[in-house]
Amino acid sequence: MDVLQLGSYTFSSRLILGTGKFSNSRVMLEAVRASGAQLVTVALRRFNRQQAEDDLFGPLSSIEGITLMPNTSGASTAKEAIRAAHIARELSGSAFIKVEIHPNPQHLMPDPIETFEAARILAKEGFLVMPYIAADPVLAKRLEEVGCASVMPLGSAIGSGQGLAMSEMLNIIIRESGIPVIVDAGLRSPSEAAHAMEMGCEAVLVNSAVAAAGNPPEMAEAFAEAVAAGRKAFRAGLMQKSGSAVATSPLTSFLGTF
Amino acid sequence: MTALPEWLTDNRDTAALTDMLSPASSRSLETLAAESRAITLRRFGRTMTLYAPLYLSNYCSSGCAYCGFASDRKTPRHRLEPDEIRRELTAMKKLGISDILLLTGERTAAADFDYLRKCVEIAAQEMQKVSVEAFPMSVNEYRALADCGCTGITIYQETYNHERYETLHRWGPKKDFIDRLETPARALEGGIKSVGLGVLLGLSDPVEDALSLYRHVRHLGRTYWRAGMSVSFPRLRPQTGGYEPPFPVDDHLLARIIFAFRIALPDTELVLSTRESATFRDGMAGLGITRMSVESKTTVGGYSVSESKNSREKKDEGQFEISDSRTAREFCAALRNQNIEPVFKNWEPSYNGPSSSISHEIQTIRPTTPIAPEMQSNKPSSLLTPETETCH
Repeated sequence: MDVLQLGSYTFSSRLILGTGKFSNSRVMLEAVRASGAQLVTVALRRFNRQQAEDDLFGPLSSIEGITLMPNTSGASTAKEAIRAAHIARELSGSAFIKVEIHPNPQHLMPDPIETFEAARILAKEGFLVMPYIAADPVLAKRLEEVGCASVMPLGSAIGSGQGLAMSEMLNIIIRESGIPVIVDAGLRSPSEAAHAMEMGCEAVLVNSAVAAAGNPPEMAEAFAEAVAAGRKAFRAGLMQKSGSAVATSPLTSFLGTF
Repeated sequence: MTALPEWLTDNRDTAALTDMLSPASSRSLETLAAESRAITLRRFGRTMTLYAPLYLSNYCSSGCAYCGFASDRKTPRHRLEPDEIRRELTAMKKLGISDILLLTGERTAAADFDYLRKCVEIAAQEMQKVSVEAFPMSVNEYRALADCGCTGITIYQETYNHERYETLHRWGPKKDFIDRLETPARALEGGIKSVGLGVLLGLSDPVEDALSLYRHVRHLGRTYWRAGMSVSFPRLRPQTGGYEPPFPVDDHLLARIIFAFRIALPDTELVLSTRESATFRDGMAGLGITRMSVESKTTVGGYSVSESKNSREKKDEGQFEISDSRTAREFCAALRNQNIEPVFKNWEPSYNGPSSSISHEIQTIRPTTPIAPEMQSNKPSSLLTPETETCH
């Protein structure tokens, strides 16, 4: 069976959903259900035990068949992310941690140096580390070496909807990686998710594209179908693109015949 | 007179904003609104982060012509004592509030740095996120506040027009225009994670002020690339002293300024307080604003009902009159009606304290060959950070 393997965990769904940015937790839960996602990410900073209404952790933990992947969004250094990972594990019991370290809270670009350091330490501590990174092939290999469960390069800037602007680099990461590559951030449409899967990504993560859609649950379903189609196409093997046109008069006729 | 900083007249990337703010702009208000809405939705989703102010003290040493707490006003002066603060915090928590802005006037003996630090310490024990809007401080003082759990500083320049500033700030420490301009940089040097900037709309030419505010944001963003930033759009409200705004800003212009900022600064938090009416706030939610205050009291204290017997707030007048007086519950219901989720907690206190990054540690390793002091930092030496003070 074709499954997504992360550490000792297996998932039949290859769509991972982010849970922020929704208009309310009811819509978010509907979208999660409609997406068929088995792995969802939730920011530790949106765990709210005091005020149930905007808490994301409570409602998510009530859905059966869902594995939670807390993320460290808001952390700007390795130290902060490691501290957050420990708190998140205690609160959620999840083995997964999505390491998100953006020292600039405005453009949300991941810091490669701090991310590497946090990932290295957390992997050693036994976490299933899923680092959010820029599409940097060398960093991806370094993270694989220190024991990350996957790498999560961005397709384009978070929340930008610019799709697979980084596809050149993503292709290299996918070709070279020994661990699952999951495109995280930037996807706007299901066709882009399908494209990422056709390229050989093991899964995709979307949030804004679903949360900011006119009808989030329906868009979640559309993404699920696109991801499944893209995966099927990848496994079936795409026809090779022809590299260049074949000249009508052979270019090598001067060589004569054997 | 000290020379004004160069960034204040830096027009490198102001062309688009200048066009959007111009009354003769090539772009209609409606087009700006549509673009601003789309950017907000993409970047921030259908959410609104909520906070509430807590006025700790209305003692003040400055004479700002437009302020209800200016030192020549005959308003009764108070400061909250630790027990009162805890009571207020409990009352605020009951409303769901976990993100709080602590306010004081300019530095006085009654409400000085030690008092403020104590208040931050108390608030950080109860709240998830604590920010401060008080008087300008030194780098060391900011570092001490950051150590106690303060993550954000709000400091409005009020107006970037030097001449207007001189006229409006009649006496007191706030009279120093340049010192105030440099305050956000000192806060960031001290390890405060985010700064909130703004102008008090109504004091001076609003378009000129908005452009300078934008230059300030860009300057800080380039100099302190890790800094979180937010921009507020306070409009002068009626207050004790009855100051009439010489440059009134109507709803259309305020909306234009907000849309233009969202388009020019797509990732920056934009804030709108209860100074504005319920209609305006509901209208602007989702169109560009991402952070709003709720159920604000502008008197010292005011949240705790247990005090209502000696009813300090009845005889007190606040710093200004609020306009949107809906309860947190009512306001959240209005947001939900518009398909926007009110978010009370959008911060994790384990991220508090000055961040020490790996690269920072690398920088502080002493090189074997001494580097000339002027090469070690591109910041003015007065802004370099001496040793850290810690909380007790």
